[in-house]
Amino acid sequence: MITSKQTNRKFNDFIAYSQDGIYNLLPFKFIQLSDDRELLVNEVGDFLIVDLGTAKRIILKELNKELDGELYGDLIANFFITEDRIPYLLDIIATRYRTKKSFLDNFTALHIFVISLRCEHTCHYCQVSRVSEDKESFDMQKFHIKRGIEIMMQSPNSHVTMEFQGGEALLAFDNIKYGVEEAEAYAALIGKQITFVICTNLAPVTRDMLNYCREKNVIISTSLDGPSYIHNQNRHKKGNDSYELAIRGIELCREILGNDGVSALTTTSTLSLSYPNEIVQEYIDRGFTSIFLRPISPFGFATRAASKNKYNTDLFLKYYKTALDKIIQRNLDGYFFREDYASIILKKILSPFPIGYVDLQSPAGMINNVIVFNYDGKIFASDEARMLAEMNDFTFQLGHLDETNYNDIFYGEKALEFTSAGINEALPGCSDCALQAYCGADPVLNHTTQGNLIGHRPTNVFCQKNMGIIKHLFLLMDADPKIAKVFQSWIRN
Amino acid sequence: MHMTPRTFTLTYVVDNRIFDKDVVQKCFYWYTGDYEVYFSILNDNQQQITLHAKSDEIIDEDLLKLRINTDLNDYQLRAIVSQETNTIRELIIAKAFANFDDEEINHQYEISDPVGFNPRV
Repeated sequence: MITSKQTNRKFNDFIAYSQDGIYNLLPFKFIQLSDDRELLVNEVGDFLIVDLGTAKRIILKELNKELDGELYGDLIANFFITEDRIPYLLDIIATRYRTKKSFLDNFTALHIFVISLRCEHTCHYCQVSRVSEDKESFDMQKFHIKRGIEIMMQSPNSHVTMEFQGGEALLAFDNIKYGVEEAEAYAALIGKQITFVICTNLAPVTRDMLNYCREKNVIISTSLDGPSYIHNQNRHKKGNDSYELAIRGIELCREILGNDGVSALTTTSTLSLSYPNEIVQEYIDRGFTSIFLRPISPFGFATRAASKNKYNTDLFLKYYKTALDKIIQRNLDGYFFREDYASIILKKILSPFPIGYVDLQSPAGMINNVIVFNYDGKIFASDEARMLAEMNDFTFQLGHLDETNYNDIFYGEKALEFTSAGINEALPGCSDCALQAYCGADPVLNHTTQGNLIGHRPTNVFCQKNMGIIKHLFLLMDADPKIAKVFQSWIRN
Repeated sequence: MHMTPRTFTLTYVVDNRIFDKDVVQKCFYWYTGDYEVYFSILNDNQQQITLHAKSDEIIDEDLLKLRINTDLNDYQLRAIVSQETNTIRELIIAKAFANFDDEEINHQYEISDPVGFNPRV
């Protein structure tokens, strides 16, 4: 809610409901957004954008119920202040809080199976190692797939996702078929719902593979980094035809699976930073209705090719904001087109519900929401954790499919340690941050970039990126109601 | 040993009667990215904070002092909210995460019925 824009209150003037004009504070946080505006956020993520200095007036009890009637009403209605010692609607606030954290109720949904480490690409930023030969050593063994499925089926979540990753997952399509059929049979036996996803660069895709995917309702997730002069530079391959193969694959997916059967992600390399508008235009030209502008993760091989992959967060934010401007303008011109990262954050801001995106959850999504079964049977706390392992850092290994049981994986000492480091309500720098409700925690990134699970917020890339983006989204909504409407449409679709 | 001369140092004195110790530490935590931050006790009522810039970047001292003043006041305000709302916050979270059973809906109370719909019939 944006106070200054509100003009049509349906109730009497607030004074009509008045007790005695003395109010008590409810838990809320505040942060300066610009030279003259600040953001107030309460315990359940409701917000008000107000003039700078308003938080001070509220906290020092300087509000005048008659003179500040509109603001006073908003503060009462949105649980920032109360005239009772214990707010009459405390149970409502508690239910709202419970709803915000309801992603914890069902526990782990996403189960990633690194079905093969083999890949025919040699991308400089690839987050995992890659090998092109030796099927025996770098494909997941069937007994490990079966054991992973058994663990997945023990999840309390009634709807799990089985995601096949690589390397290039399609190079081990037999393994995928085996996994889908085993999991399908098991799920039917115990009444669990299951979604299948294959992450692939689409270079090896065939009609037969896609016909199988259609039959089994398998979703395809691919990568498109932009026009050919960006995609082919980022994604090295013999023949320099990665872009052409990706486009051919996307078209084939749409022909066989339908338009919703394939989605694409971008990865932002240093080269990409110079082409925000061109990358967005490529997605528009290719018929996509959304784009996910992802920065490179500072894990695995990406850290080796530093000149190509390591960039200042400020440069990424400049790139992101330019691309977002183009996307917003596209919407204002009458065409629906969504930026997915913004949409995830906006859902946290504008709706009472949690999101399923593991990077923006508190407690962190690792283990609670995602688990990774590596090609060699090792079990990791998140996708980034297995990338670290490719650099010989096994901090986040939770066990091995050969020997570790469900309880030891999900409730063992390591799981508890990682979870306690992933609660942003209790992290230094985050505990007082007004953006806490919209952000998350990433112990793997903290460990990788700063050497410990807790992290140091003033120099933390996760904090800089999210604070930059979230503040920007609020400023855009505050500046133009038409943009606020566009954002609303993104979380409805 | 080669020593690089420090380009910028600022000392700042805080009155403990105005700003709590936690407030001061939370405030200056955010300066530890750009500065080495040192705390020392001057007397019962005052502590001194020394900031050494980590880079050679030119720093506007007046602007920095203004920012510190604003941040200190903001953290003091946050401390007031935290202190005043701590019990309520604990209540909210305790209620939110309390174990509960699905209660049987009990209609044995009076329901206002302005449009003539009686749910018990």
